Amino acid sequence: MSTGATVTLTDLTRMLRESAGEEEGVDLDGDVLDVSFDDLGYDSLAMLEVIGQVQREYGVRLPDETVADADTPRALLALINAGGDLPGAG
Amino acid sequence: MRSTAHVQLLLSTEELTVPETVGAHRPQGDLRGVRTALAAHGLVDAPTRAAAVVVVTRDAPPPGGTAVDGVPVRTADSLLGALALAHRTLADGAEDLVLVVSLPGAPGTVRVTRVTRRGAPRDREPDGTPADDTSRLLLWSGRTPADAAGSRARMRAVARALTDDVFRALPAVVPCGPAAGAVRGAALCPRADPAAALDAAEQVTAGRPRPVALLFPGQGSQHAAMAAGLYARDQVFTEAVDTVLGLMGAEGAAVRADWLSPHDPVVPVDDVRRAQPLLFAVDYALGSMVMSWGVRPTALLGHSAGELVAAVFAGVVSLGDAVAMMRSRVRHALSVPAGGMLAVAASAERLRPYLVGEVAVAAVNARLQTMLAGPAAPLSAVGKRLRDDGYTVVTVPATSPFHSPAMAPASAAVERAYAGMRFRPPGLALYSGYTGGLMGEREALSPRFWARQITDTVYFGPALDQLLAAEDMLLVEAGPRQTLTSFARRHPAVRSGASAVAPLLPARPSDPAADRRTVLGAVSRLWTEGHDLDTAALETLWSGGPGTQARGPLPAAGRRR
Repeated sequence: MSTGATVTLTDLTRMLRESAGEEEGVDLDGDVLDVSFDDLGYDSLAMLEVIGQVQREYGVRLPDETVADADTPRALLALINAGGDLPGAG
Repeated sequence: MRSTAHVQLLLSTEELTVPETVGAHRPQGDLRGVRTALAAHGLVDAPTRAAAVVVVTRDAPPPGGTAVDGVPVRTADSLLGALALAHRTLADGAEDLVLVVSLPGAPGTVRVTRVTRRGAPRDREPDGTPADDTSRLLLWSGRTPADAAGSRARMRAVARALTDDVFRALPAVVPCGPAAGAVRGAALCPRADPAAALDAAEQVTAGRPRPVALLFPGQGSQHAAMAAGLYARDQVFTEAVDTVLGLMGAEGAAVRADWLSPHDPVVPVDDVRRAQPLLFAVDYALGSMVMSWGVRPTALLGHSAGELVAAVFAGVVSLGDAVAMMRSRVRHALSVPAGGMLAVAASAERLRPYLVGEVAVAAVNARLQTMLAGPAAPLSAVGKRLRDDGYTVVTVPATSPFHSPAMAPASAAVERAYAGMRFRPPGLALYSGYTGGLMGEREALSPRFWARQITDTVYFGPALDQLLAAEDMLLVEAGPRQTLTSFARRHPAVRSGASAVAPLLPARPSDPAADRRTVLGAVSRLWTEGHDLDTAALETLWSGGPGTQARGPLPAAGRRR
């Protein structure tokens, strides 16, 4: 399923910002790779919006459980760059 | 020798005035402090019980050798060390009371912590399952970074050597001694390696602490067994829940039974007859608990039904009237045809073209978070159109079309009931989702303003903007699920670090111990912010306290404020 494109932390933080309608420059600087999405303020609706945007922009199919399983940007990036469905995950 | 397996320490701290300390220097002043403590507990002349004293001091032991007036005295260089000594003394069974005397106290006073054995260990949840409280919160401070580092090092030395028995006997919070300094640290220490948690904790120099604003969530934040991990574990929380439910008569007992039996409720929690009373009770009880720690909020903001809880703390309505107002809303909401609510990741402006009939914007929560509400069938159709157009839509657990014109008949009915209520101007800065800013006297005193709240749009986002524009704040969310915490975390004022937010409960349903752990996280946040907390209230957290009995009779409704 992978398109071959690698999503970077910069790409992801841009999508996180856009999904929450946040202004540039006031948010998400510093090391957020291992900060939980809860602590970043991404509730379930905001996470679904982020995942929707990732799917639209990168053509990666992410299963619904992604929201529950990937609780940090690092975990979400790993899942995206593995092509969405993890091997053996159906 | 008594078995040490189930000894649990019960603490009770008080400040005692030490007579004639003028001109007394250590160690003579210290000795006088010990004598004051002994006298206050009837341990001079003809002591009625076997006791020991542990003096917390960094100086040499007080004069008089290892006993004062026949009572054995030992010393420890931290409260944690003193508690470990107290545990050993009580577990041996020779003494049944240990007085921990913390030196130096404030001038002319001495701080005495009475430590006894608990009768029964708190290692079970009310339903009989084992409690999983594996962490203890250790607080420390100092006037300078080196001073605080010394405090930490002394605790660390004790923490490394703690046996399993002693660790389990400790209170949930081991507070800092008297005269807290500006440099502060807090560590939530797991049993496995408390020393590592102490080492890893950041030590911060607190400036002037940002004032606290309490946030109270409303419908949509409820979940089964929300905050139940605090019930029968914190006295203030438990009494507050029981007081609210007691004001509901027989219905209150039914609500509590469903709350504490989450797997088999008669009425499910998302039903308006459970969601509204339980959210009210939990929000109110959490606010009461935070205030019992000595925190005095300077501003209040509730979302939807949470605004009524904020109004109680602002002195606008009495608790009894507020509960009656909430019940009236529930009663009349039930007569409105079934409806629901949707959360959409879009601005309200983007959604207006989709609104039809009685489907309306229910709440403006954050930049790209808007709630819609309306009767079931048209709301479902609007939801489908939005999803088809690529919007992210989530169904909010609600059985009534709150904050839509469909609720207008209910508003008209509750307005008649509210006419007899006594309203007062807010005594605190009360921010309102219905004015989008501070609530004025005119609104606060208007029965119609309160009655319209179930029909009108909630402008939570704009109200939060106003609150955070007025002053940099430490927001504390007094309710389940961190809904308002999420909105706040995405707010520019919080992202930039100017303001901050601390939730009291977990982001999603979890086990009862997680409720307690999250509360300890908020205690830690308030402490490192520089707020002075009432240590006597903290050290009894989760011990239940006298009068705390799960599922005892609810207090009779009547004369309470």
